[in-house]
Amino acid sequence: MKKGKRALEGKGISRRDFMKSTAAAGMAAAVGSIGFPAVLRGAEPKEILIGHIHPLSGFLAFDGQEMKKATEFGIQQVNAAGGIKSLGGAKLKLLDGDSEGKPEKAISEVERLERAGVVAITGCYQSAVTIVATQIAEKLKVPFVVAVASAEEITKRGFKYTFRIQPASSMFADQVCRYMTEIAKAKGDKIKTIAYLHESTQFGTALADYTVEYAPKYGLELILRVPYSTKAADVSTEVGKIKAAGADLIFDSGYFGDGVRVLRTMRDLRVNAKAIVGVANGAFSHPKFIQELGDLADRVMDSNYQVNPRSDYAVKTLAEFKNKFAADMSPSMAYSYQPIPVIADALERAKSTKREDLREALTKTNFTRHILPQGPIVFGPDGQNKNANTLLMQILKGKIEEVWPEEYSTAKVVYPVL
Amino acid sequence: MLTFVIQSLVNGILIGGVYSLIAIGLTLIFGVMNIINFAHGALMMLGVFFTYWLFTLGHVDPYLSILFVVPSMFLVGAVFQWSLIRPIMNAPEHNQLFLTLGAMLFLQNLAVFLWSPDYRIMKTPYSGVNFYVGEIALSLAHLMAFGMAILFAAILYLILHKTDLGRAIRAASEERTGAMLMGVNIKRIYWVAFGMGTACAGVAGTAITPFFPIYPYVGDIFVLTAYVVVVLGGLGSVFGAFLGGIIIGVADSVGAMLLPGSMKSIMSFVIFILILLFRPKGLFGK
Repeated sequence: MKKGKRALEGKGISRRDFMKSTAAAGMAAAVGSIGFPAVLRGAEPKEILIGHIHPLSGFLAFDGQEMKKATEFGIQQVNAAGGIKSLGGAKLKLLDGDSEGKPEKAISEVERLERAGVVAITGCYQSAVTIVATQIAEKLKVPFVVAVASAEEITKRGFKYTFRIQPASSMFADQVCRYMTEIAKAKGDKIKTIAYLHESTQFGTALADYTVEYAPKYGLELILRVPYSTKAADVSTEVGKIKAAGADLIFDSGYFGDGVRVLRTMRDLRVNAKAIVGVANGAFSHPKFIQELGDLADRVMDSNYQVNPRSDYAVKTLAEFKNKFAADMSPSMAYSYQPIPVIADALERAKSTKREDLREALTKTNFTRHILPQGPIVFGPDGQNKNANTLLMQILKGKIEEVWPEEYSTAKVVYPVL
Repeated sequence: MLTFVIQSLVNGILIGGVYSLIAIGLTLIFGVMNIINFAHGALMMLGVFFTYWLFTLGHVDPYLSILFVVPSMFLVGAVFQWSLIRPIMNAPEHNQLFLTLGAMLFLQNLAVFLWSPDYRIMKTPYSGVNFYVGEIALSLAHLMAFGMAILFAAILYLILHKTDLGRAIRAASEERTGAMLMGVNIKRIYWVAFGMGTACAGVAGTAITPFFPIYPYVGDIFVLTAYVVVVLGGLGSVFGAFLGGIIIGVADSVGAMLLPGSMKSIMSFVIFILILLFRPKGLFGK
């Protein structure tokens, strides 16, 4: 049994090498390496390679493939607008890196992309993977613009090559506590207690840690936190603990597949609270979540990064994406898309494809042609986007609406939801 | 508090039924052929997708679809044995492991290729239906899954103990050469047993579709637990696999009550190690 498991893990690497050299495995290889660069011939302008690392296979493959679509869309958009003009209209090209959802895989993928000559890398959807990937990128001096990964420490290690557009965990935790307090106050209600159900890797753990830290600032208290494994077949005991706590608010952080399981179990066990609020949840504000769960998803909230619903440019960009890929762009996808225009802008200003020049240009970013609910994208000395904002969303009548803060809202918040 | 404990145990028992069903298929194949089938989870995933497509394209009730899933998965298993396992029956153990492992990777990637790694959810009339006993929720879909586990374990038990075919299978698993000398067509027994084991995995797949997301890697979540169950129950013991599934389901629940997050599996793996140390034959192994 044990021997078998070790063989399983070892096999992953040799499979990859094997597939690359074997035409017989063509079908599987096509899956593993969609979009692998084709050699271009003729006198086209120089191509600029950008790498992305996402879980393209493995248990998060669904999420990873979505992020890839969004990243690819960014590349197409930049190229359609004439490429990098200061570099003679050079076109961008995306190189795939597959993390398989495992931090150890990210190491070899960063190294591989570096050797392939990418000017920058983006990714990785999971904090645990991103922490490792940015570390290797720092060592190899490759600018890394984090797409989706919320862990605070990513931008807290004094790295010079790491940049992040999305809000960090602490901002998520801080803002969700603030929004919920503001809403309760506006509705003449008093809230005090929070119970937090979260997946047990870095992503969920860090969010819960910061909620413990920031809740008291708003007179709130985290009375129970229950971590769960994304690989658990059944989460009813974990949800049962949350139910028994009887808190005013239930916070939840997880990915898509487990998020569906969690909400279903909450409905099965008739869990009640003034609000069920996702914090950076991979499921609760995903268009597919409503599509699949219907009424069960009604009134669920999610405090998450989101595109700016009141920006014409954002609306136009989302429509373009839908046109191309026949799918809605989820907020995670929007943040996987956003690094590409930011990198393109920096390349434009750097007038160079040297990684050091690009890094230099990224530090001076002041980017307004974005789709996010915030002012210009400006990186602080730690590489974190200083103006990053989350929005509170709520599923109302089968639609995801932005409900808070009011300046970005598309509908009135329904609270309490009992 | 009491409600919470009972609720947890009930859910543990119900999900344990699914583990049982998967483990029964696994243990049957091991018992007869002495092969640890790593592709079992991937075969279960095929059952999941069969059910899903029948429901989505043909509007076939998921529980009715077992009438199709059982024979078609039996066929898949039989062909699998005939084409892949048969040639390596006498090969060294590690070669057999690699083969079934390769088959697993192939099937999973094939599913990703054909159906994308997308999560799908089956909106059946059964999903979300609950019976409440006091505050204890009993999900209809979970109950049905458990019922199917009992039904198929019973059917398999009857086949193995009351029919000539079953006797031949048991004879083959106990004494290959002896059975051959007594005129048992051992080659036929092999593909029949593999087909039956695969059908069990397929039924387990059908059982979870009303309450579980559907995607190519769905088998991974259940099948690792099923290996533990098989060892616990005793390699080759159908009844042991059935009981082992329930025990592990409950152990997971108790683990989740006492331990945080991913640590909950410690409970079942501690049982796994203890069994290996003190009763390597498993509870009902011979």
